Amino acid sequence: MRQATRQATREPRPQTGDATDTTDTQEPLIEIRGVSAGYENKRAKTRLIALRDVELDIYRGEFLAIVGPSGCGKTTLINMIAGFMKPLEGTIRIGGKIVDGPGPDRTMVFQDYAVLPWRTVYNNVKFALENRHPRPSKAAMAERIGHALELVSLTGFEKSYPYELSGGMRQRVGIARALVSDPEILLMDEPFGAVDAMTREAMQAEFEKIIAETGQTVVFITHSIDEALTLADRVVMVSNRPGRVKEIIDVDLPRSRFDEGVKRSERFGELREYIWSELQAEALGAKTGAER
Amino acid sequence: MSTGTLPSTGTPADSSAVTEAITRSTWSRFRSLIITVVNLALFFTAWQLLALSEVINPLFFPKATDMFSAMYHGFADGIIGPQLLHSVRNFTIGLLIAGAIGIPLGLLMGGVRIIDLILSPYVWAMTALPRVALIPLLILILGFGNSMQLTIIVLSAVFPMMVNCMEGVKTVDPSLVRAGRIFGANQVQLYGKVILPFTLPFVISGINQGIARGLVGMLIGELLGGGGKGLGFLLDRAGDQFDAPMMYATLLLLAIISVGLVQGTRWVERRAAPWRTFAVA
Repeated sequence: MRQATRQATREPRPQTGDATDTTDTQEPLIEIRGVSAGYENKRAKTRLIALRDVELDIYRGEFLAIVGPSGCGKTTLINMIAGFMKPLEGTIRIGGKIVDGPGPDRTMVFQDYAVLPWRTVYNNVKFALENRHPRPSKAAMAERIGHALELVSLTGFEKSYPYELSGGMRQRVGIARALVSDPEILLMDEPFGAVDAMTREAMQAEFEKIIAETGQTVVFITHSIDEALTLADRVVMVSNRPGRVKEIIDVDLPRSRFDEGVKRSERFGELREYIWSELQAEALGAKTGAER
Repeated sequence: MSTGTLPSTGTPADSSAVTEAITRSTWSRFRSLIITVVNLALFFTAWQLLALSEVINPLFFPKATDMFSAMYHGFADGIIGPQLLHSVRNFTIGLLIAGAIGIPLGLLMGGVRIIDLILSPYVWAMTALPRVALIPLLILILGFGNSMQLTIIVLSAVFPMMVNCMEGVKTVDPSLVRAGRIFGANQVQLYGKVILPFTLPFVISGINQGIARGLVGMLIGELLGGGGKGLGFLLDRAGDQFDAPMMYATLLLLAIISVGLVQGTRWVERRAAPWRTFAVA
C-alpha cells in the first residue's frame, strides 16, 4: 500500500495529528476525481483540453512532485488546487470540501517569484498575514515574520527591496511568504526553475531541510526529474496534452537525499532512468504535437 | 497555530545586508550644476554677440540683454505678472479637472471590460485628434471667454491620462494578482495593495503626458481663442507690435515653466517607483 511506504519515510505533521488521520487508513487530504480542464478559445469556438480524467490522491504531510513535459497541464492542475480556476469536469476536494477559490489552508510559491516590488522583504512576507481574518497583532506578526525569514536565511535583509536582491534571494522571500502563515498545503509551481543551477542545488537542499521541520503537505511542480527525485516522497508522471496521470512512483530513497551517496546511488540512477524513459516518449510527442 | 512550528534552520544570522556610505567629492556633487551654469552663460553670450553683429535683422532677433530687460520691465510694470498668473491658474485648474476625470475613468476602463468597450472608441478618437481642430467648435459653443481656454486644457490633458491609467491596470502582472488572491486578499485589498501600486508609475507618466499636452492646449487656447489673457495672449500681442524682446522673454518664461514641470514630474516618478529604474532581470 502506498501510504505505508510514505509514512515510513515521513512523519505526518504534528498539528494535524490530532485529527482522525492517525491510523493507517488515512483519508487523502486532497482528492482529485475525474478532473478535466481546458481553456476556451472564443474566436475559434474551440476548447483546448489541458487535462483529462485526472485521478489523484494527495496525503497529509507528503511531498508530491509532479513531472511532465512542458505544456502537459501541470500548471493547470496546481492552479485548480490553488482555486484560481475551476475544472470543466470532475471535482477537487481538500479535507472533504470542494475547492471553490483560494483559501487560508493553501499558499503558493511562484516560478517568477511574484513578490511585490514596491514592498520591502519584511512587508512582502507580512502580506501573507495581513489580509487574514482575524488579523494577527503586530507583535505576533513580527515574531512569525522573523521566524520565517530566519528559516530561509534572509535575516538582516528585512528592509531590502526585491530589486536589490538576486533571483535566488527573491525566491527565498517567496518561500518565507508562503510559510509564514503556517499553511497546511504548500503549492509550488517550478519554484527553482528561474534560478541558476548552482543556487538551485543549494536551495533544494535547504528546502528539503525546511520542509522536514515544518511538515507541510507539498505539491511541487517541476520539469526536472532530478529535482523531483531529490525532494519528493512520490513522483507523479503526467502524460502529454491532454494531460493524464501516467504513473505514480514511490521514491524509496533515504533522507537526507543531499547526503553524499544518495544521489550517486544505484537506486537513484534506476529511478531517474525509468522516469526518463517513460517521459521521453511524451516529450517527443510534444515536439511533434502538430500531428494531433 | 503557533510560530513554534517554524523552527530555525540552525544557521546563525550572520548574513546581513551590507550598505556602505558613499562619500562624493564636492566637485562631483556640484559638477552638473556648474556645467549647466557655464553652458547657459556661454549660450546667452553667443546670442548677445550674434545679435550685436546684426547678421540677422534685429527686428526679429534682439540682443539677449534687451530680452532680459524686457522681462524685468514686464514684471516691474505689471505687464507679465497678471498674464502669468492667469495662465498658471488656468493650467492648474484645468489639470486638476483632467486628473479628477481622467485617472478614475482610466482605471475603471482598465478594470471593467464593459466600460472599456463603451468608452474606448471616443477616447482613442479624442487622443488621436489634434486639439487645434476643436478650437472653432469650442469658440462657437463657449465664446471667447475663460471657459473656452479652460476646456481646451482639460480636453488636451484628460485623454493621455486616461489611456495611461487604463494601460497600467491592463498590464498588471497576472502572477502578482494570483499571489494577491492566494494570500487572502479580497477584491478591495487586491485593488488597494496590488493593482493600484502596480499602476502608480503609469498614472504618473499619464500625468506627465497630460502636463505636456495641457501646456499646448493652454497656449493654443490663448493664442487662437482671443480671450485677451494669458502668456499666449502676451506672445500674440508682442508679435503684433513687433516687440521682439518681449516675445523672446515670454518664450523663455514658457520654456522655464515647461522644463520645471517636466523635471518635477520625472523626479516624482523616480521617487514613487524606485523599482522601475532598476532593471528587473
